[in-house]
Amino acid sequence: MSGYRLENGGRIDRNRPVEFRFDGHSYQGFAGDTLASALLANGVSLFGRSFKYHRPRGIMAAGSEEPNALISVDRGAGRFTPNLRATSVEIHAGLNAFSQNRWPSLKRDFGAINDRLGMFFPAGFYNKTFMWPRSFWEKLYEPAIRKMAGLGDAPTQEDPDIYASTYAHCDLLIVGAGPAGIDAALEAMGSNKRIILIDEQDELGGGALADPALWPWLERSRKALTDASNVTILTRTTAFGYYHDNFIGAVQRLTDHMPDNSDSPREKLWRVRAGEVVLAQGAIERPLVFDGNDTPGVMLSSAAKVFANRYGAAVGKSVALMTAHDSGWHDVFALAKAGVGIKAIIDVRTEVSSALLDEANRLGINVHLNHSVTGVNGRHRVTSIQICNNDDYLGARIDCDTLLMAGGWTPSVHLWSHSKGSLAWRDEIGAYVPDQPNENVRCVGACSGGWDFGSGVIVDMLPTPKDQSRIKAFVDFQNDVTAKDIKLAVREGFRSIEHIKRYTTNGMATDQGKTSNLNGLQIASTALAKPVTDIGLTSFRPPYTPQTFGALAGHAKGALFQPTRTTNIDGWAAENGAVFELVAQWRRARYFPKMGEDMHAAVNRECVAVRSSVGIFDASTLGKIEVVGPDAAEFLNRMYTNPWKALEPGRCRYGLLLKEDGFITDDGVSARLAPDRFHLTTTTGGAARVLNMMEDYLQTEWPDLDVWLTSTTEQYAVIALQGPNARKLLEPLVEGIDLSADAFPHMAIREGTICGIPTRLFRVSFTGELGFEINVPTAYGRAVWEQLMAEGAKFDITPYGTEAMHVLRAEKGFIIVGQDTDGTITPFDAGLDWAVGKKKPDFVGKRSMARPDIVAPGRKQLVGLLTDDPNVVLEEGAQIVADPRQPIPMTMIGHVTSSYWSETLGRSIAFALVAGGHEMMGGTLHIPMPGKTHEAKVSGMVFYDAEGARLHV
Amino acid sequence: MSDALFRNEPVSSTPYVADGVSISLAAPLKRYSLRARTAEALETVLNVKVPQKIGATEGGIACLGPDEWLLRTPAEAAMPTGAGLPVAITDISERSICLVLEGPRAAELLMTGCPLDLDNFAVGRATRTIYETVEIIIIREGADRFHVEVWRSFAAWLWTAFTAAASH
Amino acid sequence: MILIHCPYCDEKRPEIEFANAGQAHVARPLDPSSQSDEEWEAYLFIRANPRGRHHERWRHVHGCGRFFNAVRDTVTDKFETTYKAGEPRR
Ligand SMILES: [Zn+2]
Repeated sequence: MSGYRLENGGRIDRNRPVEFRFDGHSYQGFAGDTLASALLANGVSLFGRSFKYHRPRGIMAAGSEEPNALISVDRGAGRFTPNLRATSVEIHAGLNAFSQNRWPSLKRDFGAINDRLGMFFPAGFYNKTFMWPRSFWEKLYEPAIRKMAGLGDAPTQEDPDIYASTYAHCDLLIVGAGPAGIDAALEAMGSNKRIILIDEQDELGGGALADPALWPWLERSRKALTDASNVTILTRTTAFGYYHDNFIGAVQRLTDHMPDNSDSPREKLWRVRAGEVVLAQGAIERPLVFDGNDTPGVMLSSAAKVFANRYGAAVGKSVALMTAHDSGWHDVFALAKAGVGIKAIIDVRTEVSSALLDEANRLGINVHLNHSVTGVNGRHRVTSIQICNNDDYLGARIDCDTLLMAGGWTPSVHLWSHSKGSLAWRDEIGAYVPDQPNENVRCVGACSGGWDFGSGVIVDMLPTPKDQSRIKAFVDFQNDVTAKDIKLAVREGFRSIEHIKRYTTNGMATDQGKTSNLNGLQIASTALAKPVTDIGLTSFRPPYTPQTFGALAGHAKGALFQPTRTTNIDGWAAENGAVFELVAQWRRARYFPKMGEDMHAAVNRECVAVRSSVGIFDASTLGKIEVVGPDAAEFLNRMYTNPWKALEPGRCRYGLLLKEDGFITDDGVSARLAPDRFHLTTTTGGAARVLNMMEDYLQTEWPDLDVWLTSTTEQYAVIALQGPNARKLLEPLVEGIDLSADAFPHMAIREGTICGIPTRLFRVSFTGELGFEINVPTAYGRAVWEQLMAEGAKFDITPYGTEAMHVLRAEKGFIIVGQDTDGTITPFDAGLDWAVGKKKPDFVGKRSMARPDIVAPGRKQLVGLLTDDPNVVLEEGAQIVADPRQPIPMTMIGHVTSSYWSETLGRSIAFALVAGGHEMMGGTLHIPMPGKTHEAKVSGMVFYDAEGARLHV
Repeated sequence: MSDALFRNEPVSSTPYVADGVSISLAAPLKRYSLRARTAEALETVLNVKVPQKIGATEGGIACLGPDEWLLRTPAEAAMPTGAGLPVAITDISERSICLVLEGPRAAELLMTGCPLDLDNFAVGRATRTIYETVEIIIIREGADRFHVEVWRSFAAWLWTAFTAAASH
Repeated sequence: MILIHCPYCDEKRPEIEFANAGQAHVARPLDPSSQSDEEWEAYLFIRANPRGRHHERWRHVHGCGRFFNAVRDTVTDKFETTYKAGEPRR
């Protein structure tokens, strides 16, 4: 044996050496090694520092249950992954890994002072100590603790990797490809079932990978399954969560084991719906609880066998075993045969089978029955152990560099528990096993409690003559919870394991207590003198092991994070320098700055252009609903506040929509195209909500009405032409429509063609100017827009954005639902009582308008505000007070909802919601803003052309 | 319709071809939303067979719900308006575009974001469903050929999502 | 993600095609103007919050578009049954 690499054996490829780095040092391993096995083979025993006490820690396990050896892997800028388990990281050329939670270095760690002070850090220490004074927590304790304790660093740069994602469906999903999982797959393979077989490791086999006698069977099985067309094999894939109706989330690691970063996805999220699930997740060996059981070099006995037989790495040169279970004996026999020096077997039991004793004798291994380890010497590596007799406490010292623990087995019931399957306690194995399923699922193999590891006894702690209050016997290695902590929690009155867990943090680390839950339960059980089943059971929650955010996000990042909806005219706006804003999911042009213009200048220019000549605006995002059927008018009459039955075809009406609670939820201008056909418009953000609300009433309250609703938002591109020259511009382009004022009055709709394209032409105005809204089939939106721009050049046509639109509508006193209303505003509050059909017996929201709170005085009402200083533009959202001299905190009676500079009026204008505002016309209100409190007079909301002279031309 | 003005489509007219699947924009179609209490009521108006069962397609008409059908036709045929009758016929030709997924990996591509079990989705079947967060209508035109109808404003996102998934 | 049986499509479909629409069998009064303030308040705002069996409305919004009724257990999140709008309470 050279170093710690065994001469023979293992599944590593000794012809393919691999160079990698750990904490800046170069090491060599072989293809097939994990970071753990390669470093062990190099004689490395120290892998990290513990969470709270910064105690030196080595490898404890060989799989994903490893609690100690958390490391970070740096794959370059933005590709830093903390908190990986060294036992699950495959080495590859260039792998650059680091230990965590140490400063300045792993061997000389400043935080280790915590360990010397350990007696001052009992369970609940943080809760008790750092509570007062409160400000100290944020400023002093928390930052200090965060720096000293904790996991790896979170990456700070954007993740450049890409992640794939898919749904998958199968008749049978098998989680775990150890012998039991493989058998289940082989058995089902001959059927025509679609089978998915998932395993977290890089190759199939599970426990069989550490048992060379099974390798020929494994190879035959692997080939049979690979050849079967109905079997999908996913290795390096972790089923992390089991959700309702046999929905399983799994992450497949695609590239992390490869030397180079690639353009292909790093990981893939599988969202699997399975007819039946077979869980074959195996069992996890349990550590034993004794003083010094966390010293580097103390590890699970099964892990030592995996390192020897699978990876050809010896965990030590002189190895002792502390066991309570037959399986430990078999492990060290295997180690001895692989060439690892075995120093002694210490068994807590007084009797074991003669077969074991005979084999130990044959291999020349010293055996100490009815003995326990009571101490471990060595700080960065075991140098010797203390053992003593359980009855007379007579002891001895054994020199060794490694101590194995075999405390029995815990079935891995995590996913079973996610699925809400019940568990039953089995005394003889001291563990919970799956009982009644809650889904179509069954457990096979070791995770069902059926195994052939032999028998053992369950001990909560090894007997010791030492003062129990002065020893560190770890239960949860990752969260640094000792047996003493759990006993303290019990002494302080905690009775349920759920409370003990939260108080001590036992089982609350990233490993979710895979190696600690059962020992914690046993210790609590003894301390409470109650059976385990009376103390309860903690729940397991997804994820089974930590997963990257990238994998969970899948392709929902960057441009695919969420859809940005664009109109047909959006491309033109982009090419012509528009500045955009998002409105709901839509990207809308906010303004079109010319060279050197800021937003203020651009908006002023756009507003003046509309008022003086003609502006053009992309209104395509307005929601549109086509309401068709014999009962269309009756339906709208019931939905909207105003009357619809008498509206003539060809005419439009402003519609106000309330919720049943009487508050405004949407508005829009709608047109009657025919006796049984209406073209509704809604706000941009309200389109889906309004359609859903209307469908709700139609389907469930008035199913007798013969009327149907169809979203036509995206059927039409909508171009608003607004301004005194709008008609002159349109006239030569439109056919089949008489545009004259008499033939086509304000609030009318006509159908014809524009530039040869069919159009629904509305004569409407959200600006107070002569205006048209041109609806054309969406695909032609941009072409018609460009024609209008070309023809409009002689009128100096000006494209304007949402910002100018807001100013223009505010000058005219038009509200924007959702900006000037907030879901608690009635039509009366908004000054829109003219839009309520007083004679209608019923409409949605009518009854609520008579509710006591709605008719009570003092409601917030929408009013206009004119600042005493016309140059002051109030901040939207600014609070309003009646008396600025009152003591702070002042009584706020309302707030500013809309506020703009009006270039047309040469002053600022604003809307505000003010308690009792309608009664305050002409009165002065005060608006405190940074630096100064401003005065404003309450006014009506129409600031421009109140008589509508500009509209009816 | 005017030849003078060009159509402006939200995705490239050049198909995206990946290993085992291609993604392309279908030629423009006339589309109508057909609504009535029964298929018979529509048959009376349209004088064609209208499928009864949700998910079924017949002659370019897909039954999407108990009172909802989607008619897709390349023709510029005149449609009755159904005026005065208890039916609703609405032109939605330009509301959506159609992406055609074709090739042995077509179903696999669609399942990257669509939660339906497409192994059990027969040729000829149509349904409204969802791809991640975006509503779509899928019509299985053949074992290896799907039509995916998507509202125009979401089409660019869906195209990007499909091409990204197909390249993986 | 659960599967929900749509009584119109007559098949189980994934949850993300559906939207919850609140408590079921809360019928809008035929003549709201005849309702007392207390009755109207109860209709508008007062809802059950049972532990266990709960009657809910769902909409197969990204499917057939129909609202329907369901009985769901609020503890287990399991659907006991679903049925068409207008059918009697189950
Ligand atoms: Zn449905």
